[in-house]
Amino acid sequence: MYREHDLSYDFLGIHLENPFILSAAPPTDELDMAIDGLKAGWAGVVLKTTSVESNPVNLKYPMMSSFGTAAHKLWGLGNIDLISQYHIDEICERVTTLKHLFPTKMIAASIMGSKKEDWQSLVWQLKKAGVDLIECSFSCPQGSMGEALGRMLAQSVEATEKVARWVKEAAGETPVLIKITPQVTDIVEIARALKRAGVDGVTASNSVPALIGVDVETLEPRPSLFGEGAYSGMTGMAIKPLTLRTIAEIARNVDITISGNGGAYSWSDAVELMAVGASNVQFCTLPMHYGFGTIRDLKSGLADFLDRKSYASPLDIVGKALKGIKGQEELVTPHSHSDIDVETCIGCGNCFRACSDGAHRAIRWDAEKRKPSVDDEKCPGCGQCMQVCPVNAIRMKEELDGKVHYFEFKGTR
Amino acid sequence: MEEFEKTLSRQQAAIEAERCLYCYDAPCQAKCPAHVPVPEFIQSIRSGNLHGARTLLQSAHPFIETCGRICPEEAFCQSVCTRSKIDAPLRIRELHRFVTDSTDPSDRMELPQATEGKVAIIGAGPAGLACARELRVRGFACDVFEARQVGGVPSQEVSTHRYPREVGEREVRFLTSAFIANVRTERVTDVKPLVADYDAVFVATGLPSEGDMNVEGIQLVGVHHARELLRTMKSGAISGAGNRVGVIGGGNVAIEVASMLREEDPTRDVTVVYRRGIKELKAFKREIEEATALGVTYQFLAIPDKVVGSRHVEGLQVTQAHLCGEDESGRCRFEPLPGSSFIIPLDTVVVAIGQRVDEGVFPGLARSDSGLISVGDSMETSMPGVYAGGDAVHGAQTVVEAVRDGKKAAEGIAAFVAGGE
Repeated sequence: MYREHDLSYDFLGIHLENPFILSAAPPTDELDMAIDGLKAGWAGVVLKTTSVESNPVNLKYPMMSSFGTAAHKLWGLGNIDLISQYHIDEICERVTTLKHLFPTKMIAASIMGSKKEDWQSLVWQLKKAGVDLIECSFSCPQGSMGEALGRMLAQSVEATEKVARWVKEAAGETPVLIKITPQVTDIVEIARALKRAGVDGVTASNSVPALIGVDVETLEPRPSLFGEGAYSGMTGMAIKPLTLRTIAEIARNVDITISGNGGAYSWSDAVELMAVGASNVQFCTLPMHYGFGTIRDLKSGLADFLDRKSYASPLDIVGKALKGIKGQEELVTPHSHSDIDVETCIGCGNCFRACSDGAHRAIRWDAEKRKPSVDDEKCPGCGQCMQVCPVNAIRMKEELDGKVHYFEFKGTR
Repeated sequence: MEEFEKTLSRQQAAIEAERCLYCYDAPCQAKCPAHVPVPEFIQSIRSGNLHGARTLLQSAHPFIETCGRICPEEAFCQSVCTRSKIDAPLRIRELHRFVTDSTDPSDRMELPQATEGKVAIIGAGPAGLACARELRVRGFACDVFEARQVGGVPSQEVSTHRYPREVGEREVRFLTSAFIANVRTERVTDVKPLVADYDAVFVATGLPSEGDMNVEGIQLVGVHHARELLRTMKSGAISGAGNRVGVIGGGNVAIEVASMLREEDPTRDVTVVYRRGIKELKAFKREIEEATALGVTYQFLAIPDKVVGSRHVEGLQVTQAHLCGEDESGRCRFEPLPGSSFIIPLDTVVVAIGQRVDEGVFPGLARSDSGLISVGDSMETSMPGVYAGGDAVHGAQTVVEAVRDGKKAAEGIAAFVAGGE
């Protein structure tokens, strides 16, 4: 009944009907699940990471854990999952089947190896099966493949560059993405190593190594298997700000294609990831939480956004926020103070208390009227009151060169 | 009879608690006559610190199990909840109830020696027990004199579907065992003999007598007083009411007795006969909703003329009323429609038109025009060392207001005794 907005574009020479990809994770670990995801409208899949036979996969259940509040249970999702238990031969068969069923979708596969011949043989087999793109997991936070225990390939600049060269050498014309970890001292060094190695792009990033929690009743780690647990890879909403910084840092410093991954839960999150430099966005926790059908809102939300902003293609968003990202010391120094709209204010007093106990004691409180007011002399405009206001009645009024600007959040959340 | 309202589950409570804005100088707390620290106890629910929440409630309020069930939140905390400016007020009373239902009374009490003085408390209802507890916490020993059952109106006259007997008993047992030196079953009608033996006296006898209607036929067999009937049913005895009951009145007692009569026998017809309209009912919203759910029906705009019958009640003759403006106090006025009388066939009539002040008791205490005991800001009466509170001072009011009176009086008594020495 309604015309669908064209969200398609080319990514590393591959046609994408929209920017939304199912990442290498449980949603792509069964053929029928991958089929359902693609049928639902996802533009592509990265099949869950496989390896060579010599690497056994010994899973520990329950592998999932999470943290949040009563109303928002799943701020962060944790897993102690490993790579797929399926053999490369099975993955190759699936690539062929999926490519046959969905010739216009991106069918990618993820691999992980240790020795050069392992990496290269995995690549050759996938190429033969007709894969569109190969993603290499240099950053699975659980287990270890070849490197020292608990250490990821992508935490070493030299190893990253060396292995990336092996992969690209074998892949030839087939695009290669290297999936890295945010858990490094300098993400830019890693991205530069990948650029030198000549791979096509970087998937930034992966789950974040984390300890999901401690059960306060038992003082056991979470997840707990008979009292013992391991660090998890954390995903979900909680990690989006980490992903944004990782992508932005790479995009600001290295000219390399980025596939965004980690913490996107909605079309607007995806727009954020793209605005700091991602050319597409991979999802895992969202479909693991609310299913493949979430693609419909991702698509329609993005389409509406592009219409409202008069962007022709999703690619027009890529990197749009980067020019505004600066070092703190480079920013201007305006005269600002809090500006409270008393009409919108509901009189909860959170701004007053936050300012009094956590900022500059610059907000006065009329106990009778239950209304705050700002002492402009004391208020430097730090913005803490604005963060705690439940009804967005506060903005920062900034004066620079005699002109007044308002700083306020205009986004969807 | 099962309770109408179920306790919130832990998850429901935690999700509801997350809606709290944790207001500064919170209006809910200010509006609570007992000053329950609402945002703080809700924050403790949010953090999973239920015993901390219980301690906060218990410190502010002796009747927390009671008020968690029957406090008319629409009149107090919830009526001023800031959250209602975003969507809907927090379900504060239900969160309060969740805390008391999920925890045992805190036993981490530390009471001082009872060496400050000795106080006589007349009446073991909410005001009397609140005063006794507050005084005990301040180092006084209290003897409580009660003519009937310890616990007062809530224990004896609030229907079981809102307030099960065992809840009231548990609360009263805890209060008396933890805070009260002596409970004497004794009707006291004069404070003078006590003044000599005690450092101070607190009068909190409530309003035990019920109002009568001055209409023809009121002496017939089958006419009952509402509160007497409530006490009978709450005690577990049979009311003796018939199959077609008319309850005259529009306040909480009328609705309460109507509900409980339906509860006792769901096949019986119970009609509340009220002179004004549905909007003018004085009972609290939740009570009206529950009565309606129990199948209570209403005859609005009906002015009782007389009870009809030879020896036994056969009906109630009423005249239809119409509403016409407001009187000086803002109450809706009504007038009879001439020639509109009709008879409601009934076998039982219950009179629920309020309590009566018993002016024969406590000679020497100054009273207001309406016959209630007059008090000053610290609940002091006209007689030095004698304080008063609760319904005997304010007329029918809520448990939490009685608690406020008891706490205020205790403060006044403590100051009085300290000053006298």
